Amino acid sequence: MRSGTYKETYAQLVALTDSRLVWFWSAVLLAVLFVAPYYLNAYALSFLTLILITAMGALGLNILTGFTGLISLGQVGFLVTGAYAYAIAVSKFGWSPFAGFLLAALVPAVASLIVGAPSLRLKGLYLAITTMAFSFIINSVILEARSLTNGARGIRVRHPDLLGVGTAGDVAFSHLCLVFALAALFATLNLRRSRVGRAFVAIRDNDIAARAMGINLQSYKLLAFATSATMTGLAGALYGIYLSFVSVEGFPFLLSIEALAILIVGGLGSTLGAILGTVFIVLLPEATRLVFSAVSGGAGGLFTTGGQELKSILYGLVIILFLRFQPRGLVGAWHDLKRAWVNWPLRY
Amino acid sequence: MDYFLQLAVSGIAIGAVYGLLAMGFAAIYKSTGLVNFAQGEITMIVAYIAWTIATTVSGNVVVVSAGAIAAAVVLGLAIERIVMRPMLGEPVFSTVMVTIGLAVILRSSITFIWDAYPHALDLGTGRGIIRIGGLGVRGAQIAVVGTLLLLLAGFWLFFRYSKFGVAMRAVAADDRTALLMGISASRIHAIAWAASSVVAGIAGIFFAISYDLSPDMYQLGLKAFPATILGGLDSVLGSGFGGILIGLTENLAGGYLGSGVKDVAGFVMIVVVLMIRPFGLFGERDIERV
Repeated sequence: MRSGTYKETYAQLVALTDSRLVWFWSAVLLAVLFVAPYYLNAYALSFLTLILITAMGALGLNILTGFTGLISLGQVGFLVTGAYAYAIAVSKFGWSPFAGFLLAALVPAVASLIVGAPSLRLKGLYLAITTMAFSFIINSVILEARSLTNGARGIRVRHPDLLGVGTAGDVAFSHLCLVFALAALFATLNLRRSRVGRAFVAIRDNDIAARAMGINLQSYKLLAFATSATMTGLAGALYGIYLSFVSVEGFPFLLSIEALAILIVGGLGSTLGAILGTVFIVLLPEATRLVFSAVSGGAGGLFTTGGQELKSILYGLVIILFLRFQPRGLVGAWHDLKRAWVNWPLRY
Repeated sequence: MDYFLQLAVSGIAIGAVYGLLAMGFAAIYKSTGLVNFAQGEITMIVAYIAWTIATTVSGNVVVVSAGAIAAAVVLGLAIERIVMRPMLGEPVFSTVMVTIGLAVILRSSITFIWDAYPHALDLGTGRGIIRIGGLGVRGAQIAVVGTLLLLLAGFWLFFRYSKFGVAMRAVAADDRTALLMGISASRIHAIAWAASSVVAGIAGIFFAISYDLSPDMYQLGLKAFPATILGGLDSVLGSGFGGILIGLTENLAGGYLGSGVKDVAGFVMIVVVLMIRPFGLFGERDIERV
């Protein structure tokens, strides 16, 4: 039994993990994720791809809301900006997909600075309302700029060829998403243990104290906005390719709420939580559908007629129930379970 | 000139609806310190209940309004008791997220309880167009402005002179001291939720009479945000006037600059107001002490 952790150097303190077991199982998981697309059917594979894309978006929001404590209801704004940046560059101008992804990272970052700058003076609720307003303004700008965005008609996006490797097939596209999600995961993990990440957390916990410690609030808040928007924008580009069609309707405001629901369900501020929350939220509607149709065949029909509405109700319920009964999210539950396992039969 | 007047008049009318909703926001913010994201959804549900009463029981104006207001009180109290009170003492982020969750649930339940099609709320009055000079106005549009002014006066008197009003201000100013003075904070919260949902419900009914009922009526709540931000989140009266200003701006911007601008005029205004006067026109400036 591990009876405590003794850390002697700073390097040990900030290491990603001190456990060989964690590295081993992570490698196994990675291998499974790489091989799984070859064996899953198309329906299950679409869920895997969606989880990878959503995880990236959730990690992006986690930097802003989880680490820095800036509540954003406008995450869908960054998502849609990234999707359009990619779609316009690749489908309209015929540029290389690399340029598309680069733009999908840069354009939302610039947009986030525009939102972030006036929001610097605001906290909590006011910030949430401003970011929400921003996402509506973005939608309107996209609809008005018809020459660039085709207005309400949207833009068709094809699966890209990267370095001569086509990702037209679902398996190849899923691998592409896996690469992006992994990059986002390591970026977040490493950011969290660097000076910048510690500054973000300090701002979240007490901004006045953080300022007294020499953290420049304005530049760090803007940095949090930009990092988050970059990651979310790339997720948006992938989501656009996944939908194979980019339009304002494809990115409803509900996505902003879904992203916050993921963080709450997983556990706010935890990278592992963002991943667990993503898996939970993406699979929740499907799992509910399976349970319902197993219990009574007739209720399955509800999901075909009111699928979108039922999904929203589920998200709402999950948000409320988790905040009420498990505010630390799935990660909190996992930690409790681990402690109970190690200490059994003692309480602590 | 006629075009301008027509825009201004209908702007004030829709602004009065926003103003009523914004007063609901402010009433809750003032007493509980949180923004109720489900305000627009409550408006919509009360309007749908009014429509159900009108089509099944009786189309009489008095019956429908009394029934709808009673339903609004019950709805407000139920939400406070079942959903919000267990969250007392939790961080603001959590409680606000709970109202967002509630909003999503209420919004989607409309299509399950009722249906996804627009309906006309016909109470026999208010839908007719009254001509004043060259202007055409619906009766309900005039009535909603009148109601807003009446309620503004009522709220002012309530906060100024009634025991509950003073108690609400006390809870808003400092809930611990208020508790020590023997004020029950949870009762105050319950009253605030009931009052806010009644005000929102009235706005919903007027909106449904002047325009139509539809499942996207909850967007009124989003439109009322700018109003309450402009007026000051903690100022009930300011929010009411903020609504009229936002309605005017939106309609004039829509009339002269195009309908795309109309939808976001309010949101652009939010950003501008928050940059210049984050506490709104009539709100109290927050002073942060270390």
